[in-house]
Amino acid sequence: MVENVLEVKDLTMHYTTRKGPVFAVDDVNFHVARGESVGLVGESGCGKTSIAISLLKLLPDNADIKKGQILLNGTDLIPLAEAEVRKYRWRRISMVFQAAMNAMNPVYTVEEQILEAMQQHLPDMSDAEMDEKVDALFRLVGLDPSFKDQYPHQYSGGMRQRAVIAMALSCDPDIILADEPTTALDVIVQDALLKRIRKIQGELNMAMIYISHDIAVIAEVSDRVGVMYAGRMAEMASTEAIFHYPIHPYTMGLMSAFPSIVGEKTALVTLPGEPPDLLNPPPGCRFNPRCPYATDICKEETPPFKDHENGHFAACWHPGGEK
Amino acid sequence: MTTQTKIVPIPLWRVRLKLFWKSLRSSWALFAENPVGLIGLGMIIFFGLFALAHPILMNTVWEPRVYHPTMGYDMEIAFHPSQPSARHLLGTDPLGRDVLSQLMYSTRYEFVLGILSAVVTVVIATTIGAVSAYYGGIVDTLLMRFVDLVIMVPFLPILIVMSSLIKIGMLELALVIGVLSGFGSTAIVVKSQALLVKVKPFIEAARIAGGGDFHIIFKHMLPNLLPIALLYMMFVVTGAIFSEAVLSFFGLTTIEMSWGLMINITQTQGYLMRFDTWFLLIPASLAITLLCAAFYLVGRALDEVVNPRLRRR
Amino acid sequence: MWKFLAKRLLQMAITLLLFQAATYFLIDAQPGDIADIMTMDPNIPPTERQRLRIELGLDRPPAERFLIYIRNFYTGNLGVSFQEYPKPVIQIIKERLPRTLVLFLSASLVSFWAGFVTGKILAWRRGSFIEYASTITGVTLYTVFTPWFALMMIWLFAIKLGWLPAGKFLDPVKWIGAPVTSNMIFIRMILTATAALILMFLGFWLSNKVPRKQRFFVRLASFLLPVVAVVLYWRLSGMGPYAWDIATHLILPVLTVTLIAYGGTMLLMRTSMLETLREDYIMTARAKGLPDNVVRDKHAARNALLPVWTGLVFSIGGSISGGIITETIFSWPGIGLALLNAALVADIPLAMGAFTIIGVMTLASHLIADIGYAFIDPRIRYH
Repeated sequence: MVENVLEVKDLTMHYTTRKGPVFAVDDVNFHVARGESVGLVGESGCGKTSIAISLLKLLPDNADIKKGQILLNGTDLIPLAEAEVRKYRWRRISMVFQAAMNAMNPVYTVEEQILEAMQQHLPDMSDAEMDEKVDALFRLVGLDPSFKDQYPHQYSGGMRQRAVIAMALSCDPDIILADEPTTALDVIVQDALLKRIRKIQGELNMAMIYISHDIAVIAEVSDRVGVMYAGRMAEMASTEAIFHYPIHPYTMGLMSAFPSIVGEKTALVTLPGEPPDLLNPPPGCRFNPRCPYATDICKEETPPFKDHENGHFAACWHPGGEK
Repeated sequence: MTTQTKIVPIPLWRVRLKLFWKSLRSSWALFAENPVGLIGLGMIIFFGLFALAHPILMNTVWEPRVYHPTMGYDMEIAFHPSQPSARHLLGTDPLGRDVLSQLMYSTRYEFVLGILSAVVTVVIATTIGAVSAYYGGIVDTLLMRFVDLVIMVPFLPILIVMSSLIKIGMLELALVIGVLSGFGSTAIVVKSQALLVKVKPFIEAARIAGGGDFHIIFKHMLPNLLPIALLYMMFVVTGAIFSEAVLSFFGLTTIEMSWGLMINITQTQGYLMRFDTWFLLIPASLAITLLCAAFYLVGRALDEVVNPRLRRR
Repeated sequence: MWKFLAKRLLQMAITLLLFQAATYFLIDAQPGDIADIMTMDPNIPPTERQRLRIELGLDRPPAERFLIYIRNFYTGNLGVSFQEYPKPVIQIIKERLPRTLVLFLSASLVSFWAGFVTGKILAWRRGSFIEYASTITGVTLYTVFTPWFALMMIWLFAIKLGWLPAGKFLDPVKWIGAPVTSNMIFIRMILTATAALILMFLGFWLSNKVPRKQRFFVRLASFLLPVVAVVLYWRLSGMGPYAWDIATHLILPVLTVTLIAYGGTMLLMRTSMLETLREDYIMTARAKGLPDNVVRDKHAARNALLPVWTGLVFSIGGSISGGIITETIFSWPGIGLALLNAALVADIPLAMGAFTIIGVMTLASHLIADIGYAFIDPRIRYH
């Protein structure tokens, strides 16, 4: 039986601001199986990055996890103290950050920064073994190992992103979080990098959560996709199901908004309105102001995130637009 | 379905004024968030009032013969310097003059000096910074070498040397300080800012629209450089007040009355290290410290307005 | 790297020459000259004045005189001081320079290091009380009127508490019939202190190569042993009391200048740290599971250092000015005091000499700071 590397249950996280609490992540549930690639897609501010930093417990001072469980290989990270969590960071769960322009420290060489993580988590490795591993990592991501003793500013954008991926892989984590890793790059580099990521993931049988606002990219890399809206998980299913049989009206809107290069030309259907202000989210289902199928119950009660059929989860009172 | 909207023309200057007012209000809100800046501003206002109070007092309550800061003399008290009393709130100095009057009288000159130096600095620094950044190449190299030369010169020693050659009064001092600061670190800071502004799209747009070099520099770049120049102006004022005080304390200026001079007289008359004549040393020193600190604090608070990355959430 | 160094040295040489030219012509522009001063007595006929002028070479064109001046300068002839006629200026400078250097260097190094460490720690822990207290302390130290601060220090430590002497270089009473000159003792003090410091640094550097358990003992030993060695040396040489006398006179001026410089560095470091902590690579470092102090020191502070170091370059002028003021208040016989006294009585050769040396000091500090910056920021080295 394939066990789950990561299980997230009822995760809720708030930011405290001067104007009141911002409900960034609310009752989010999902799981990632070993070797699986899960995509998280949604508009800016829907909570995808907030989930990522919550998973690593890298919250800023004004953020708190209010409730929930983060089960990494069965261990709940939330009640753990900071010193304990550090042992899991990078070793079991690592992250590839967006806009790698600044993700690496400019005053140390790339090699030093990768070695740093390994020295922290793999103290039994010898120096020679670590050197070899760095070389292997470089080759894995498609970089020439002779560049490893250079500084980040000497790398191009694409090279830097590859280096950051290599760094994230350095301690053989069970799961990697990739937060918009290709957004800052041009499409050609992006394409090459996505193929590379897919290949690595397959080779290492590593679990991955890929976060993006770009549906096309998500489609290419993910086995399953989760759609986030206003801090909540709207729908989660296999990539095929999400694209061809979406249940949640928001997902349906997203799919219609995506133009196809084959087939006949159809008018672009867009969703009216804007995502809600998370300081004062609407009651009930947070999508109700924009939803063409909304009824009274949608404005009063929050729909449960449940399995509608064969692992296709959604939180909607009128799945598929039915009344 | 369309509705007819009537377009009412508003004169351009009105729009500009409104925008300016709006940005001023939001800058003020940011500035006011920081208690440090408000304290500084409060102190500056206090000293401003302090300076303004002097001519009022001289014309009403205080007899010029007794209370004049440089020429007054109180004949009714036997021995000068005298302790603080109802007659002289901070006592009298060794030459029989009222200390409080001296303190108040000097304040205006401190302000004048500070602001004059600052204005000179800002004018020079912004011009150099903007021109250097805009033209680049050999103009840049030449100007920057010159700036290097000026930075290399430490302030105080050069003022000391100059004082042995020429008579240094308020105006000369302000000019020298202004020029030295202007060609110094302020120019470099303005230049880096100017480099950032130079690559902004609206500069390109202005050039395409046919704007000449001077037009672009003075009408477009300068307004964007002023905030940071204003910021550094505060530090120049601090430096100017400080330098004047030190030089007067050393007796190297021909300024007739200033806080530094008050301390100088205290020293030359031998009353410096005595606890009982505290009123000769402490009020003047405190005034210098507080006014310098006030401008510095305002500068720091302005820093948070000008440089958004420093703001706390 | 070496090209960079060579380029900077050349620039420094040119700047120095320009600087000297500027000062020379500045002084020269003043009306009247040495011949006038030497022949002020109206009874001396003007022909005598003219003869003196020709003898001193004052009738030659300015450019030629400047070249003579430069030639003299670089062969060690800085003229003769008016005040202490006929003592050559170079001798006065040689005597006084080490004293100023000790003051300047020790204050700069200690204040920079202290400001760096406290600024770094204060930015990491943002609690409102500590923030306010440290900001107020920093601003106070930075803006306080230096002469007043120095006077307060004297008043507190020398007069009220009586722990330390009130000024000057040494207590003349203790040196009656001394077999050595104060300068000799002072130079030797500098040498022993430098040797001790070098040994300490070596020890600390070695301690990093040693396994963790023994590190503490190695560090303790490398700190204590040189201190013990120095104390023993002075005790055994019999000149201990003289060195001690100078040492006690040294403490208060150094403390004053250090405290004043500390304020600015600490404030700047704190601001810089706060900016650096918002960078993405700090998040990466934390995500790597590195301990807090490693993230703070190795990642944040190391980058926050860069603008502080640049700020140091700008503040060198201020440090030197502060040093001059301190020398004056404490009557510490260094270059600064020499300059001031020379200016007060229009002793032009001494004033010029002292001023030029101060200029050289500033220039050298700038150069060292610039080179240092290239070491700590790889983006300058490879771009």
